[in-house]
Amino acid sequence: MSGPRYQRTKRQDQRLVGFECQDCGWVSFPEEKRTCKRCGSAPADFEEVGLAERGEIKTFVVQQYLPDDIETPQPVAIVDLPQVDGNGEAARAYGLLTETHLAEIDVGTEVEARFRELFADGSRPINSFKFGVPRATKGDSDRTDDNSGDGTGDSGTGDGERAGADPGGRDGGDGR
Amino acid sequence: MTRDAYVVGSGIIEFGELYEKSFDDMLEEAYLNLLDGVDGGVAPSDIDAAWYGTIDIAGEGSSGSALAHATGLFETPITRVENACATGSDAFRNASLAVQSGAADVALVIGAEKMLDDTAGLIGSAALERLWRGRGVTMPAYFGMRATRHMDQYGTTREQIAEVSVKNHANGVKYPYAHQQFECSVEDVRESPTVSYPLNLYDCCPVTDGACAVLLASEDRAREFTDDPIRHAGWGLSADSFQRGDDLALSNFPATRQASSQAYERAGIGPDDVDVAEVHDCFSITELITYEDLGLCADGEGGRFVEEGHPHLDGDTPVNPSGGLLSKGHPIGATGVAQIAEIFEQLRGEAGDVQVDAPEVGLQHNIGIGRNATGAVSCVNVLARD
Ligand SMILES: [Zn+2]
Repeated sequence: MSGPRYQRTKRQDQRLVGFECQDCGWVSFPEEKRTCKRCGSAPADFEEVGLAERGEIKTFVVQQYLPDDIETPQPVAIVDLPQVDGNGEAARAYGLLTETHLAEIDVGTEVEARFRELFADGSRPINSFKFGVPRATKGDSDRTDDNSGDGTGDSGTGDGERAGADPGGRDGGDGR
Repeated sequence: MTRDAYVVGSGIIEFGELYEKSFDDMLEEAYLNLLDGVDGGVAPSDIDAAWYGTIDIAGEGSSGSALAHATGLFETPITRVENACATGSDAFRNASLAVQSGAADVALVIGAEKMLDDTAGLIGSAALERLWRGRGVTMPAYFGMRATRHMDQYGTTREQIAEVSVKNHANGVKYPYAHQQFECSVEDVRESPTVSYPLNLYDCCPVTDGACAVLLASEDRAREFTDDPIRHAGWGLSADSFQRGDDLALSNFPATRQASSQAYERAGIGPDDVDVAEVHDCFSITELITYEDLGLCADGEGGRFVEEGHPHLDGDTPVNPSGGLLSKGHPIGATGVAQIAEIFEQLRGEAGDVQVDAPEVGLQHNIGIGRNATGAVSCVNVLARD
């Protein structure tokens, strides 16, 4: 159950649904509106498209100073999510990163969408997607242990959603 | 447009932590400094209309009546302008358009902001609830994302980004109205605390209170106020968003390219003609990217441009002789107006210790963020000696 503000885009927030302009191919996400922000078509003809759960980091930062109720360091990226059918343009969105070592984030890094509780509105959880570097699954020969101590695991809508603070990562003041 | 508009005077107050001064005090002081600073004198009764730039963070100046109270300019049309960080430059643009159109002969522009009254500041206003517009994304993050991408795409180094801050702080110690007057080295910048990787504290402008006023007059009236008026030669205003999918918007600001192209065309000049510029350096990376967006250097060359000294006070294209937002501070409504005032002084040869060598054409630029950084507004004004 969500409040009215979140209700407006609840379907997109929870299902990775975008809207493709039939004139120019731009993908609107998460909002579906009646004008195209690229070609200016008005009214635009938008068609619903499914977005893939794996995308690519186009750029990112790691935030250190934030309001008290947001944990730091908080990595945030611009992520391109391709369409599920492999055709057409990707949707471009902000992505909050979770369960990820800061040192493994870079421009071009592949990330996967994970459904999580983003925050609570009063006692109600507000759920949507965060992004993380895909983990090797059990049985893979190259499985590494680098996701230990990251807060939550891969499954469930955990409450410890912060990204792992890697002491050797990007949280130093040396500007790497 | 039927006629040209000229800047004929300016009045600035010292930027800084002005806790002792009210919003009205700041507006009043800038106004009085302007009246005092016009060469041939100006009476309040000369002023046909006023434009007032503020985003009103302090909650004290929400309409034109705030400026009327501070100045006594009642019974005068006063318009408040708010356009993100381009608020001051857009207020100037609007006043100039009124003079150019004949709607006013003499127009006042005042920009003011008390940034420090709201302790939560801009970080506190970071949207907490917008799920897909970056929950908690702050100003340093908006601009830091461009830094990350610029380094990846063009090989721009962290040291080159820091060079912008080093240059502007070196200028700022020579500029009497700057908020933070200290010099720093590349190492100092890199060793200052991380704010939002890859930006550190000295890559960020301080939180500053301030106000500034300029006076515009029509070509028929300008010489009543000064023998040395400076023409508003061109302007551009545009908005863009990285969410439109243009990859250039990840590393640069297309809005600045659009606004500067408009301004160059209106002024009948190109980037090579710019002799001095006051540009938006809310963060060091912003200025580095802006060199490219304004066409002062080629794409991807911003880092080398500053490293080689071109935008330094004694370089071939001095940028931010006043110390920029990085040392002067960034009281949003006042920022653009103060940049106009600095270009006005530069073109008149009155810029004191930061005067550059005999400039004929000056450029002023702001870029502002809206819609949680998915949108960027850019305003560019060109001033010229006739
Ligand atoms: Zn379109």
